[in-house]
Amino acid sequence: MVTVEEIEHVSKLMKIDVDDNAEYLEKVQTIISYFDILDSAGVESEEISMPEISIEELRRDEYIPFAEKLIEKMNHYKGTYVRAPKM
Amino acid sequence: MHFYQLMIKHLIKLGNIDKKIKSGEKLGACFGMPISIKDNICIKDSKTTCASKMLENFIAPYDATVISKLKKQDAIFIGKVNMDEFAMGLSTEFSAFGPSKNPWNTEYVPGGSSGGSAVSVSSYECVASLGSDTGGSVRNPASFCSTVGYKPTYGLISRYGLISYANSIEQIGPLARTVKDTAFMLNLIAGIDPNDNTTVNNNNEDYLANIDAGIKGKRIGIITEMIGEGIDPEVMTATKEAISKLEGLGAICEEVSLGMVKYSVAAYYTITATEAGSNLARYDNLRYGYEMPVEGYEFNSYISKTRKKFGPEVTRRMIIGGFVPSAGHAGKYFLKAMKVKSKLTKEINEAFKKFDLLISPTVPILPFKIGEKINDPVSLFLVDINTVTANLTGKPAISIPFKIVNGLPIGIQLLANSMNDKLLLQAAYALEQTVKLPEVPI
Repeated sequence: MVTVEEIEHVSKLMKIDVDDNAEYLEKVQTIISYFDILDSAGVESEEISMPEISIEELRRDEYIPFAEKLIEKMNHYKGTYVRAPKM
Repeated sequence: MHFYQLMIKHLIKLGNIDKKIKSGEKLGACFGMPISIKDNICIKDSKTTCASKMLENFIAPYDATVISKLKKQDAIFIGKVNMDEFAMGLSTEFSAFGPSKNPWNTEYVPGGSSGGSAVSVSSYECVASLGSDTGGSVRNPASFCSTVGYKPTYGLISRYGLISYANSIEQIGPLARTVKDTAFMLNLIAGIDPNDNTTVNNNNEDYLANIDAGIKGKRIGIITEMIGEGIDPEVMTATKEAISKLEGLGAICEEVSLGMVKYSVAAYYTITATEAGSNLARYDNLRYGYEMPVEGYEFNSYISKTRKKFGPEVTRRMIIGGFVPSAGHAGKYFLKAMKVKSKLTKEINEAFKKFDLLISPTVPILPFKIGEKINDPVSLFLVDINTVTANLTGKPAISIPFKIVNGLPIGIQLLANSMNDKLLLQAAYALEQTVKLPEVPI
């Protein structure tokens, strides 16, 4: 069974910080424990099949100009620059 | 609460269409048709919120391919409709803007995550709606609200402009009141799109033509794992009646087993949470997000603070999405889930060697009350058990309104092999013609 500490560690790596930590983690633990059912599926020797697309089928990597100025959709811009605050 | 953004500027277009009619100009196939759109599909210069506080003020800079196609046909987008936040849920209770209610009984959930789409169609507020189906998010609310809900073959409809949740299995799908309306919508939005490399060429198939071909002689497999443990007796009775009606139309129905269905919900949630963890990483206020001052924060703590705008379900799934594919756990969860997906696909392909179609109830239970399951995530997940198979295997599936029991709808699900969408719609039309349902009590 997965421990609350393990989940807490991963949530920190995911940059997720919740107020009611214990309640969240308990529910996540319940869900992940349910996933243990996969252990009894007997699929250890199964190959993972993935759809393949040949490179010829992909669209050409061409520059398509955007009809409008995306910069004008920003809230803080000056001239051709986006103003970002200090961090 | 199912519309939260009425699109006045699109309604103004009605005036333009009047002018077109008067001047004898050629009109689009759905001129003047009011259509609602799930709020995870981009309409240029309109808010696309995904029912999340994170995107509350996001204005889409471009049209999704499905929207461009419908605009060319003079469709009127009457509004953006409610959904579970980022399409994560199956009751529309997880919207940051409040839950939607079932028009058949407003104490009950409308299903989800495309709950607003189903409510708007069921309550005669629009002719059709576009939703998205990752694990049943079109078919589940269609079943709960007594509308038709369609999940096409994976790749049949472009996902360009659909805000991603789990790209490898999700599809845009139409909801409408009849199978014919659904086929009509599919004719307009299906087809290959250079902006979505996963789309497939359907050779401009006309899904409306010969829709009344019937199902005489077709072999239909009854999926035993979807009518077993946990099924509501009323849903079981309705399913038996549907099978009997199909046999009456000349179909040959036999039971078929798909052993991996038992593990499909765990596999589905493992895979979708993993993809969601990756897709939602872009909501960090650097690429997408909302106005929040940055002064005083260290880089990581700023992003963590930003993500507090996610609702509880999205937060849970992001944590799971980080956990199940992580080093040390991927072998136990993610890789096994992918293997279940592969084996399930083999099983269903084998079934389609013998059968033309497969049948099950869309949802094993009747609609439930708002709040009834919200604190029991595993019990809520299991509501998806009959719908996730079509997504994990890429097969087309449809929910057809079949019966009303104690004032609550029951839908029947039919599945077909990949690219057999036309046959699926023919079978759904045949079944639809055998039932006459009461009007929604609104």
